Amino acid sequence: MKSKPRANNDPLIYLYGISAKNPEVKITGSIHGKSAVETLQDSELTAWFSRVPEKEFGENLASNMENLEWLSAASVSHQRTVSQISDAVTLLPARFGTVFNSEESLLQHMRAEKKKLSDTLTRIEGTEEWGIKLFLNPSPPASPIEAVSGRDYLRAKAMVQVKKRTELDPDVVEFARELQAIAADSAPAGKVSSGQSNLEWQASFLVRKKDRPKWDQMLKRYATRWADRREIQCTGPWPPYSFV
Amino acid sequence: MTTLTTQTKAEAILAPAHSGEEEASLLDILDHVLNAGIVLHGSLVISVAGVDLIYLGLNAILTSVETAMKHIEQHSVSS
Repeated sequence: MKSKPRANNDPLIYLYGISAKNPEVKITGSIHGKSAVETLQDSELTAWFSRVPEKEFGENLASNMENLEWLSAASVSHQRTVSQISDAVTLLPARFGTVFNSEESLLQHMRAEKKKLSDTLTRIEGTEEWGIKLFLNPSPPASPIEAVSGRDYLRAKAMVQVKKRTELDPDVVEFARELQAIAADSAPAGKVSSGQSNLEWQASFLVRKKDRPKWDQMLKRYATRWADRREIQCTGPWPPYSFV
Repeated sequence: MTTLTTQTKAEAILAPAHSGEEEASLLDILDHVLNAGIVLHGSLVISVAGVDLIYLGLNAILTSVETAMKHIEQHSVSS
């Protein structure tokens, strides 16, 4: 297929994801201002996208990604849009910032990777992603650090902190195994929030919707067991970003 | 006190934040949205933005306060 040369000001195609079905869905908002969410169907696959300005999402995308203000707003818009589509249909979410020259180039890609895309769609059908984080409750040390000087105190304190970071509590290992036993799949969590204070452990899980009651029950059991020691933070359901 | 925060919708964490929760929510979104999702490879893709650098940048910002504190502590220990 020959592709037409594109004019400089033609909008680009910003991809949210790919689904098998193409239901009528009302989506509020999009990645960019007033751009609508559109669909494009090719045999058994449907692409969900918006037309976005070339300058912001092409030429300047890399520098915009390094601008926290732009990145924050765009990633929230991306998540809101992808989440709405995911509510209506099993969706393979595209990586944030996936942009095509034209509908034609998007179609060529869908055709070239049709088998892989269809297989992944089958795998994630009926599942959703959940993020789990464990935060240690800040608590005073069991025995006060005995130190004769400020310097000794800081050294002793540093040793306590180092111990915390290198050894994962066996309780947490057991917890992670129980989560894995219920979940369809698991993945390391993203690194953006790895600097959060008192964050002890985090991971992402792909959970079958039918297993939600078991999943919730297990989390509640641990929340009760760990009442004084740590907080379980569970976010979701997310589109299965980490499992495609 | 242990709280189990189970959001029924990812959307719920986008609601106006209470004090201290806003940062974590944005972090969660970035964690799930960046460096995840399918990548369609090929020459016709103009760009799949490179987010590895962004990760480093964000992480640096978020841990900078902590690092600065440690630096001050170490400095006072060695002086």
